Amino acid sequence: MILDSIGVGLMGSTTPVFDIALQYCRELYSSVAVSSVYGRPGMKLSPTLAAFTNGVATHSMDFDDTWHPATHPSGAVLPALLAASQMLPPSTKPNGLDFLLAFNVGLEVQGRLMHFSTEAHNIPKRFHPPSVVGTMGSAAATAKLLSLSMTQCAHALGIAASLAGAPMANAATQAKPLHIGNATRLGFEAALLAARGMEANPVILDDIPGCSGFSAFYSVYQPKPLSTPSDHHEFLLEKQDIAFKRFPAHLGMHWVVDAALSVRNLFINYAGSFSPSLIRTIVLKIPVSKYINRPFPSSEHQARHSFQFNACTALLDGEVGLSSFTESSIHRQELRELLDKVVVEHPEDNVANFDKMYGEVALLLHSGDVLTGKCDTFYGHWRKPLSRESLLKKFRSNASHVLPEEKVETIITMVDNLENMSDSSQLACSL
Amino acid sequence: MILDTLGVGLLGTSTEVYHKVKQYSKIYSSDISSTIWGHLDFRLPPLYAAFVNGVAVHSMDFDDTWHPATHPSGAVLPAVIALSEAFPQKKKISGLDLLLAFNVGIEVQGRLLRFSNEARNIPKRFHPPTVVGTIGSAAACAKLLALDRVKCKNTLAIAASYAGAPLANAATQTKPLHIGNAAKHGLEAACLASQDLQGNKQILDMESGMGAFYTDYSPQSLPTLQSYAWLLDQQDVAIKRFPAHLGTHWVADAASSVRRKLVESSDNLLPLDKIEKVIVKVPEVKYVNRPNPNSEHEARHSFQFVACSALLDGSMSVQSFASENIQRPALRELLCKTQLQHPADNKPSFESLYCEVTVGLQDGNTISDRCDTFYGHWRKPLKKEDLEKKFQSNASEVLPAEATEGIIETVYNLEKVKDCSILSMFLSGQSARALSEKLRLL
Repeated sequence: MILDSIGVGLMGSTTPVFDIALQYCRELYSSVAVSSVYGRPGMKLSPTLAAFTNGVATHSMDFDDTWHPATHPSGAVLPALLAASQMLPPSTKPNGLDFLLAFNVGLEVQGRLMHFSTEAHNIPKRFHPPSVVGTMGSAAATAKLLSLSMTQCAHALGIAASLAGAPMANAATQAKPLHIGNATRLGFEAALLAARGMEANPVILDDIPGCSGFSAFYSVYQPKPLSTPSDHHEFLLEKQDIAFKRFPAHLGMHWVVDAALSVRNLFINYAGSFSPSLIRTIVLKIPVSKYINRPFPSSEHQARHSFQFNACTALLDGEVGLSSFTESSIHRQELRELLDKVVVEHPEDNVANFDKMYGEVALLLHSGDVLTGKCDTFYGHWRKPLSRESLLKKFRSNASHVLPEEKVETIITMVDNLENMSDSSQLACSL
Repeated sequence: MILDTLGVGLLGTSTEVYHKVKQYSKIYSSDISSTIWGHLDFRLPPLYAAFVNGVAVHSMDFDDTWHPATHPSGAVLPAVIALSEAFPQKKKISGLDLLLAFNVGIEVQGRLLRFSNEARNIPKRFHPPTVVGTIGSAAACAKLLALDRVKCKNTLAIAASYAGAPLANAATQTKPLHIGNAAKHGLEAACLASQDLQGNKQILDMESGMGAFYTDYSPQSLPTLQSYAWLLDQQDVAIKRFPAHLGTHWVADAASSVRRKLVESSDNLLPLDKIEKVIVKVPEVKYVNRPNPNSEHEARHSFQFVACSALLDGSMSVQSFASENIQRPALRELLCKTQLQHPADNKPSFESLYCEVTVGLQDGNTISDRCDTFYGHWRKPLKKEDLEKKFQSNASEVLPAEATEGIIETVYNLEKVKDCSILSMFLSGQSARALSEKLRLL
């Protein structure tokens, strides 16, 4: 997860949204610049702003990891930890194990919170989960790394709640990456404020009718007591793995792409080559989710959140990758023609839930024949995880956009040996 | 509103919460900087100046309140003042520019609040300044920056992704950050939009946009600019006379009045030991129902505390919330005898609530009084002298007399001020004598 997150972050440092965030931070703040910025060797920012910038990079292309219940866990936590590790004085630098532990705490807290609401199990409709649980996870992780006391940790979470929550409507726009940038930055700020003695409501996670705490973000919220961690504490990550994306688009797209690729093969066998003129209608069977149902996306952000666009791109090109979302790719004539043929159906059994949904693509040909492809579990999903080679391939491809080969390999080695590092800030320094 | 806000902000620089955020914000410094109210000794980048000054404004719950419920000025004023000092090429911002931006920020908040019926009552889920205040700050800053229409839309869209803090941090040290963050994040949204960052331009229309913060969101089109009526003209704000939740102001007036009656009927002495019970009739507002407050933040959010405090002292003041006063035995004793009642006709809305205080004596007699409209409420606004008195009392805690006079004069003549940086200079405490030549009027 750490490697993938760094990789997509490095890749993301080439995006316009990243440029804006970086420009903004650089203009306003110049001192105590100790934390590294993805893809800008030598440049430093103040810790929370480095976290912000790197968080934006991580989510800029919707290429980062996804969990169940739904959120993007790593992007909300890793940038803050990297920045924080560089902030601490040389005598108290956290070692690799400290770093890993803090990272896992950040993930665990997110998972636990999501399990307090059944609503959280489905694809979100109101608040974007990274902005809700991600902020809390970042606060928890940095509080852990900074070794705050029990009381301070409680206050860090309380303060973080007042910094959480961004509405879904900014998904599929350039502002969405800010959700992860702010989650990691503001959670970090909450921990810093708590470290300086700021106090909040110590029972912010409880459900108190008439005066909402963390429950404000859910219509159904049922917190449960947690057992005190012992030697046998089972981290949620051990029971529920995450999904890694193979191309930079919303997770839901991955099902329809795999289904589209499968029916494309059938079609090529049938017709000898991919001949769009033979197709009368393309039927997509997808779950109901407004923000990813876009028949004619016009920006890269919209394209990354469009079942129709991703299915047609896969049909046309035989693959979906980074270059599928460039301006020219989005607007090409052949693609628009295919998009015109798409109709969307929402079978009742196709639930808007990353554990249960499926994607089906049917080609209704002029000849009357029907070819179908279906995907229940795409390659990269937690049920069919990416192999180590695939993960490394993705990382190398991303990182080499902005870093020379030796650096790319150094990072791989460091992350592989994270538990043995004596000074984990070396990881941040190498970015 | 501007004067009152500046006053409470200056006073707020003496609080603990303020001290903590100031220490925290000092880790950021840069070439562009804005004034920290009450401080000559250091400056901060505009965002953090907005944050810190915003926290100061709400640090004691002493700032203005509107209907539908929110604290409008604190979310906007710190941001526009900080921004006015940070224009590229040292461009001068006039008092009129500042005033207009400020009013835009207030108006936007009012319009948004009217998109939900839920917003008319005292909140339960999200603290309103963090919802509409952030958008108001964003709008005000976009106006001051003279952003074009498209960028203004993006400003509001980006700001929405920063909005919303839960109510449960009310009555804790974190609450003041709600206003600080509203100001800061609104400013940040405007800055990001000016660099061309884009968001969802229909953010105000969508259930998954601003609608996320309400269960009954129903946006309406606004009146045309040709015949535009500003909400502030139709609905004034309430100005607080003492630093506590607005709901307690009804309690204070009712309790003070009961005390007067009690004292009259017993040789001008308060018969404390003869009091058997104190009944306070208020609407049901969970986060202000605290029978046993311990911190200043809790005391400011306690109907019971204010009732007892006003009974004991005859009136409420800044000093009522000092920790010696919170903990004094006479008060704790009276608190034990106090209970709340929630009559069905007492609605939790700042427009319609009332308070009735009844003291039951040992001999069976009871003394009661009721307050429907406290002095300072929009139906019974503070007179100009009392407004100035509040400002002077607050500001003089941290500023010299020439600076406080300078601020009053500048704010009263804001429309004519050519360069509003003079306001910031007074706010930092610079001596007025050196600046009097700079106070040029049109």
